[in-house]
Amino acid sequence: MRQTRRFVLVSIGCVSGLPLMLAAGFGFCTDTRVDGTAAKLRALVADAPAACALGRSYRARFPEEEKQAVLTGLLCSSLGLGVRGIAAQDTDALLSRLDSRVREDFSCGDTVQVNGWVLARTEARLCALCK
Amino acid sequence: MFVDARTLPQRFVIDADVCIIGAGAAGITLARDLSSGNRKIALFESGNFDFDADTQKLYAGEVVQQAYIPLDRDRLRYLGGSTNHWQGSCRPFDALDLADWPFGPEVLEPYYSRARDVCQLGPDSFDPADWSTAEARPLELGQGSRLKSGVFQYSPPTRFGTVYRNDLATAAGVTVYLNANLVQIDSNESASVVTGVEIACLNGKRGRARAKNYILAAGGIENARLLLNADRVQKAGLGNAFDLVGRNFMDHPFVPAVATIFADDASPEMRFYDQHVVRSRIVEGYFCASDEVRRREKLPPFAIGIRSANAGIDAGVGNIKLPAVLRNLLSDSLDRKVAYYLPRILDRLETPVTWLYNKMWRKPPGRFVTVYSCGPDPDPQSRVTLIDDVDALGMRMCRLAWRLPADFEQSMHRAHELLAQELGRSGIGRLRIESSSATGYDPMQNLGNGSHHMGTTRMHNDPHRGVVDADCRIHGISNLFIAGSAVFPSYACDDPTLTIVALALRLSDHLKSSIS
Repeated sequence: MRQTRRFVLVSIGCVSGLPLMLAAGFGFCTDTRVDGTAAKLRALVADAPAACALGRSYRARFPEEEKQAVLTGLLCSSLGLGVRGIAAQDTDALLSRLDSRVREDFSCGDTVQVNGWVLARTEARLCALCK
Repeated sequence: MFVDARTLPQRFVIDADVCIIGAGAAGITLARDLSSGNRKIALFESGNFDFDADTQKLYAGEVVQQAYIPLDRDRLRYLGGSTNHWQGSCRPFDALDLADWPFGPEVLEPYYSRARDVCQLGPDSFDPADWSTAEARPLELGQGSRLKSGVFQYSPPTRFGTVYRNDLATAAGVTVYLNANLVQIDSNESASVVTGVEIACLNGKRGRARAKNYILAAGGIENARLLLNADRVQKAGLGNAFDLVGRNFMDHPFVPAVATIFADDASPEMRFYDQHVVRSRIVEGYFCASDEVRRREKLPPFAIGIRSANAGIDAGVGNIKLPAVLRNLLSDSLDRKVAYYLPRILDRLETPVTWLYNKMWRKPPGRFVTVYSCGPDPDPQSRVTLIDDVDALGMRMCRLAWRLPADFEQSMHRAHELLAQELGRSGIGRLRIESSSATGYDPMQNLGNGSHHMGTTRMHNDPHRGVVDADCRIHGISNLFIAGSAVFPSYACDDPTLTIVALALRLSDHLKSSIS
């Protein structure tokens, strides 16, 4: 459990801009809860060039998910949260939800190979949000 | 009793009840088990007590298609045979492994029980849970998992020629003829009964052995070669009426470092799948497909083991490359190969995800590599044939064409994908499949073979589909039997030695009852 959460932590590091992307996609850029979530996430990982590299590979392989709005929508859906819901989660709760989702992806075989890595679909999409 | 055949008179004649060719795991097991005051057992061994280069050269042959360890280096030709370089891995075949055999596990089980003693194994358990400790435990795979865990037990390993040498010297009715090579098998005109075998020594001595029953126990390649060379009556070779002798050859392809796993270095689950000691016994866990997934996805039986890659570069090369290093030593190209590996191992430390892990975990993650082996379906085009070149005794040498299935890599990747999913689901770690396109490293460059020669005289009740019947008797020949992994109709993913010994014990029981 601890390790998966840490890995998700790594993955989510690539989405330090997640709330802003969400805002761009859904028009909630003034939502302070989203900004707050962004701050927490940025504090977790300030820089994630490696995850961005994985994200670029993912987007190249799945061009239909190139747009941030599409990716964000898919992530919100898989996490079972709307943008406001994500913003409302504290870091632990969000990580816990991500952890569950990632495990579920692995469990049901919803994985994708990115640069050789076998990643849960959800964590791969998180990487893909990083630009 | 041991007799050096080179000291026998020219044109010697030996009479026995049972004549066994080859003193490896199967031949020695048969001789010991058949030993009795009422039976004369003649066991012929090409070599001596120790390695001899001239004798070893009799194994030379040609390799085509898939790269393979040279045939005179892949096997050993002296008392004990290839058990002299056996690593000792053991596991009995299960019901699914034996699906294509003429009998099920219930037939083999009593012989496995005896074979475990012969191979000097520990407790009678191959259940991973029985070998679980706080330091090394199997991954909890849960209900509906696509993978399951297994465990190999390691023999010390038993060097049959050393461990059982004294037994052979004192066994009632047993005479071991050293430096004695079978060069011809004679039969009646209809090739339905073997009437004798010709024996030759490298010093020029020749003779003949006659027995009621004959057993070829010379190994999965050599048994086929002996039958194909016995062409006086049946031009295609003895027992080869349906062109099956030598076909369906298989070895276990072995691929090191197929994938890299990043996980906690102290993880007991990672340790379980490498060799480790439990209660003074060496065991090694492995991952394989669940029966349901194996059937549904038509995956070959496979085993994935895990090796630490954190013990330093030198050890890393050793861990990752052991079979290839052996092969390269033999082909005198070690320097070139090491030069290839070192920079790639270093490169891998710089991969993006590693960098991320280091950054977030504040310490280097445990780094492991997988080792993969499998037992693909039999392939008639994977075969042993003869070439026109002859050895020092005038026997035609053999050509080995080992062919892997077209979907070999695909199956290997799928197996690793399943493993990655289990590691991710359980939170143990993440796995990266190596490939020239994704990571710049192609594991297939290091494809090796397990030196497990199987299938060339496969067992089947139908003579059109197998060379020997369920009693290991060659179809159509009343008194010629095959012992060893040459009779395996399918291969599982395990070292064959335990099953070779079990089958030899079963054949021994059959012969005892038929002789009596």
